[in-house]
Amino acid sequence: MSSRDHTELANPFDRSSVSRRWWLLGAIVTIGLLPLVFQDSYWRTNLIVCALNVMLAIGLDFILGYAGQLNLGHSAFYGIGAYVSTLVITKLGLPFWVAFLCGIVLAGAAGMALSMFAVRLRGHYLAIASLGFAVIVHQVLVNWISLTQGPLGIYGIKPPPEIALPGLPVISFGNSANMFYLVAGFALLFYVLLDQLVRSPIGETLTAIREDEVSASSLGINCPAWKVFAFGAGSAVAGAAGAFYASSVGTLVPDAFIITESFTILAMVIVGGMGTLIGPVWGAILLTVLPEVLRGFGDLRLVLYGAALTLVVLFMPGGIVQAAQIVRAQFDRLRARLEAG
Amino acid sequence: MSTVLLQQGINGVVLGSLYVLVALGLTLIYGVLVQINFAHADVVTIGAFAAYFFTFTFGGNYLASIAVALLVGAILGWLVNAAIFAPLRERGSELLPLIATIGVSVLLQNVMLLWFGPIPYAFDSPYSNQVIRLWGGTFITGQNLIIIVVSTLTIALLYAFMKFTFMGKALRAVAQDRETAGLMGINPNHLIMLTFVIASALAGMGGAMLGPILVLTPFAGTTVIVKAFAIVIIGGFGNVEGTIIAGLLVGLIESYTTQFVNPGLIDIVVFTLLLMMLAFRPTGLIAEKREENV
Repeated sequence: MSSRDHTELANPFDRSSVSRRWWLLGAIVTIGLLPLVFQDSYWRTNLIVCALNVMLAIGLDFILGYAGQLNLGHSAFYGIGAYVSTLVITKLGLPFWVAFLCGIVLAGAAGMALSMFAVRLRGHYLAIASLGFAVIVHQVLVNWISLTQGPLGIYGIKPPPEIALPGLPVISFGNSANMFYLVAGFALLFYVLLDQLVRSPIGETLTAIREDEVSASSLGINCPAWKVFAFGAGSAVAGAAGAFYASSVGTLVPDAFIITESFTILAMVIVGGMGTLIGPVWGAILLTVLPEVLRGFGDLRLVLYGAALTLVVLFMPGGIVQAAQIVRAQFDRLRARLEAG
Repeated sequence: MSTVLLQQGINGVVLGSLYVLVALGLTLIYGVLVQINFAHADVVTIGAFAAYFFTFTFGGNYLASIAVALLVGAILGWLVNAAIFAPLRERGSELLPLIATIGVSVLLQNVMLLWFGPIPYAFDSPYSNQVIRLWGGTFITGQNLIIIVVSTLTIALLYAFMKFTFMGKALRAVAQDRETAGLMGINPNHLIMLTFVIASALAGMGGAMLGPILVLTPFAGTTVIVKAFAIVIIGGFGNVEGTIIAGLLVGLIESYTTQFVNPGLIDIVVFTLLLMMLAFRPTGLIAEKREENV
């Protein structure tokens, strides 16, 4: 299909399935090496945060970049995943992995329910509906004290149970390196799943809806159903990130899921390059690591996010992916000139 | 009981008329441009801070500070249009300007946080302690009276401007059909700029009057703007009459929820109403003739 050729051209990180396999191998090796390079607990915590943000960013990008729906309530699905998974363990006494699944399913279901409300409407209405949804979820977390303990928060949340395989040493997730492997492994898994999805005919269907909904429905595509599906899938990934957030940080307060959190995830997607999956990964890594490196400059984290978000939209709407593309084109031209003598 | 009902009704109208001022700006911009300006929130905040500094740092008159905030808002509106909306207009994207203004909003809030700090400013209007007794044991403070009078006058002036002046008619023409209006010799770019200036002047002025009511921090505008978004949707995007009714309605909901239920539930009630409207009556309270909004 010509649209596929187009995406191949548009994305410098992504050429053939062979090179994709090498990229995947490279990603696995990098994930394996990172905790060995960063031994102190401060940077290991940041590594886990990075992996969580990657998960959040690719989930949002699937909704925004592929299905064209501006979701300003991603923080709410993140929060639903975190609180549901924690409460299923503490109130119902179910094991972590069941709770984890509950978090994913409920976040996804909430996303689908929300997009059903606004699916017939223009993009702006969905943006505001999702913003309102995020406000509602945050206020429920603050006010439903008998369930969530409100602003006091939930403390002492345990990490996922250790895995004991016969003949191997016990893997404990109290260890930050193992926790990072777990979260990053799932981030990679979700990346591969979403990548398969956007390469399949489903991805092309979603792109068709994003580009022109009227034409898409005239081709017999059930646009509302696909939009609800995309919204649910992206929110479910955020729910998974929430479950890992709770079990890796050990504490939950409602203010971890305020609207600003949605905006920071949005910044990661936009800075990386929406509509490509690899872009938001780089965006999430850059916007997590950069503020930590710049720590000496005080609380500039959100100033940086705001400035980056605005400037990228104005001057480089394709984000890091577009920048890389330009650099590569320049490099190719230079090489051609050198070869020509 | 009826005293409480009446008193909360008065408080609700006061709050509602301020929400109307802020929400009208959003609805005007949407009417002309079909775009959402998220930085509108920060125009409210900056208007409130401008009034605060004018009154307390420079010893100015509080009533004059409302005019100062109006001016500051107007300048900000011009800037936001020139820096964000005008350059992005050619690209014709539906969502990019909204995303860019979210960036502007996050940037402005956190720059203000660096400058002004997170501790709320005590913005005591000199008129807050003057109490005017009304019928049946109810009362209104001088500050609230100023709010009602100033916002009613402003809204009436705006309404007259839109209905009766050439500029107002041109503005509505651009909102209905930008290209045809252009053919009639109206420069849409000038009118879009004018819309931003008027809308943001209203927001700045609203900020000056909200300052003494709100907890004045760099994030004050955000709490107002999320309600203003709910108001423009409940009232119907781009619909001035609907916005006025919905604004007063939300103000009343807020004051009655505070009195009879639980102040923590205000946002939940307002946004549940918003989601219900989206599900069952997306054109807003007053049905619009312009179907393409939906």
